[in-house]
Amino acid sequence: MSEQIREQVSAFLDGELPSSETELLLKRLTRDGELRESFGRFALIGEALRGSKHALLTKGFASRVNLAIDGEPVTAAGTLVATHAARWWRPLSGVALVAGVAAVAIVAMQQRSMTVPGAPAPGAAGPATVASTTVPAGAVSADAKLVSNHEAISYTVPATSIETPAGPPTGRLTNYMFAHSKYSYGLGQRGVLADLLIDDDEPAGAVREPAKQVPVRVAP
Amino acid sequence: MIRSLRHRARAGWLVPCAMVGAILTGAPALAAADDPRIWLEKMNQALATRNYDGTFFHVSGGRVETMRIVHRVRAGRVMERLQSLDGSGREFVRNNDELTCYLPDQHTVLVEPRQDRGPFLGSLPQFGADTNEYYRLEALPDARVLGRTAHVIAVNPKDQFRFGYRLWLDEKTAMPLKTQLCDSRGEILEQILFARLDMPENIADSELAPAVKTDGMRWVRQGPAHEEPATGLSGFRASELPPGFKLTVEGAQTIGGATAPASHLVYSDGLATVSVFVEAPPAPDAAGADAHPAAPTEAPMQGLARVGSGYAFSTVVQGHQVTAVGEVPALTVEFIAHSVKGGADPGRADPARH
Repeated sequence: MSEQIREQVSAFLDGELPSSETELLLKRLTRDGELRESFGRFALIGEALRGSKHALLTKGFASRVNLAIDGEPVTAAGTLVATHAARWWRPLSGVALVAGVAAVAIVAMQQRSMTVPGAPAPGAAGPATVASTTVPAGAVSADAKLVSNHEAISYTVPATSIETPAGPPTGRLTNYMFAHSKYSYGLGQRGVLADLLIDDDEPAGAVREPAKQVPVRVAP
Repeated sequence: MIRSLRHRARAGWLVPCAMVGAILTGAPALAAADDPRIWLEKMNQALATRNYDGTFFHVSGGRVETMRIVHRVRAGRVMERLQSLDGSGREFVRNNDELTCYLPDQHTVLVEPRQDRGPFLGSLPQFGADTNEYYRLEALPDARVLGRTAHVIAVNPKDQFRFGYRLWLDEKTAMPLKTQLCDSRGEILEQILFARLDMPENIADSELAPAVKTDGMRWVRQGPAHEEPATGLSGFRASELPPGFKLTVEGAQTIGGATAPASHLVYSDGLATVSVFVEAPPAPDAAGADAHPAAPTEAPMQGLARVGSGYAFSTVVQGHQVTAVGEVPALTVEFIAHSVKGGADPGRADPARH
């Protein structure tokens, strides 16, 4: 990514890129898959560096994933060796950078099918009472527990995942999500529809007929 | 004259009083103007009633897709078009209550009636007492997006069972120029960033016509449904639910690729929704996985999968395939799927103990 484009991306994410340049950036992004990938990483890095109050600050975690950010090296102290002085990088502290690195690594781990080794058998989860806001112990995967012993990684994005042939296949999941989308509220529905618009790399014919709906009754 | 002076004097006294009064009464008004609820209502109104044509980036799971949204309201009829510009070439077009999905990569066009009238871009339900119990609305400092001033609103989940949102709403139009889906720790799972957003008076029909050439594509049209609800599955329910979730819809659907209808249960906390599909086991007289009514060629599924910005979790309950999906954390779909139990009493309500 050239310095000029990096500056444009940075300015856009700061909300300050003139509309004429935004159009040009948009055209570039539409054509260039690699640039889109970089843009996605930058969008998350920039967000974390703008002051996400929930950023992860685990140094060890950052060290393991520093290559995720466009090849930029991270020192042992977690400080970026900035070879390019993009707008939002200038005022950064090392801590903020680590937060950004962690955020990038997390999203890089998301697109996997996962099993939940050690997950409880049906009925054995011992779900919390409805009034409780604590996480039911049995419903948290062993992997998530293991990871959380070492790093403060959100359970919602387990860092360790094992692919399984018995996991829900993508085509079937697409059908479930499509059937679900009509009952999904608001912004959630937007997310579902946007996900369905994205090419999921399925072989042709994997999308089957739409779900047949029968009249439903609204629970009292 | 005296009367006039007195009047003037009184008027002169009243002016500062009126100013003070205006300030005093205006303070709550100003506070109300910044109320996140009011801004969310403005956003919903704008999304549903305005014409708009925009291009945005959808950033999720490290992937970026460029999409275009066109929304037109004319004489009470809503037409929308959501188009992938750089990926699959897929398009969704909604004409009032019919949704057409153009899937050129699958050589398929799906046509389906949709009862939901919510805009593609998505609105948020009104925040009432129930919703407030599980989400906290917060007004954050204004920010700049697309060179415009934006009010920033956070919808923060109060526990780990649901996701939250951050919205950057255009100060002038209340349109969401940027939105983020976040988990309970504030980590971003999905972002929508507008690169261009126009709000024209009129939108031509051509802007709502799909770019996909449908020659030779397979059209699958879903007509009015007359199927009976799934038999033998009506007793299946979630026996325990995460706080705030309740059964809101119960029905039956034949999921694409399946040969028999599945029970479809929808649980919601007013903002997040989770669908649970319960599918019957293979018929006793049919040997092998080929007879599985849910998916003739697939074995029962077990495990967790990421689906876009949400999760799916599958398990087997009393020989039945149970799958929970939704735009919620993995924990929530696992929790609900694991708590599903069969039962002979189809009328029993889900527990909502407090």
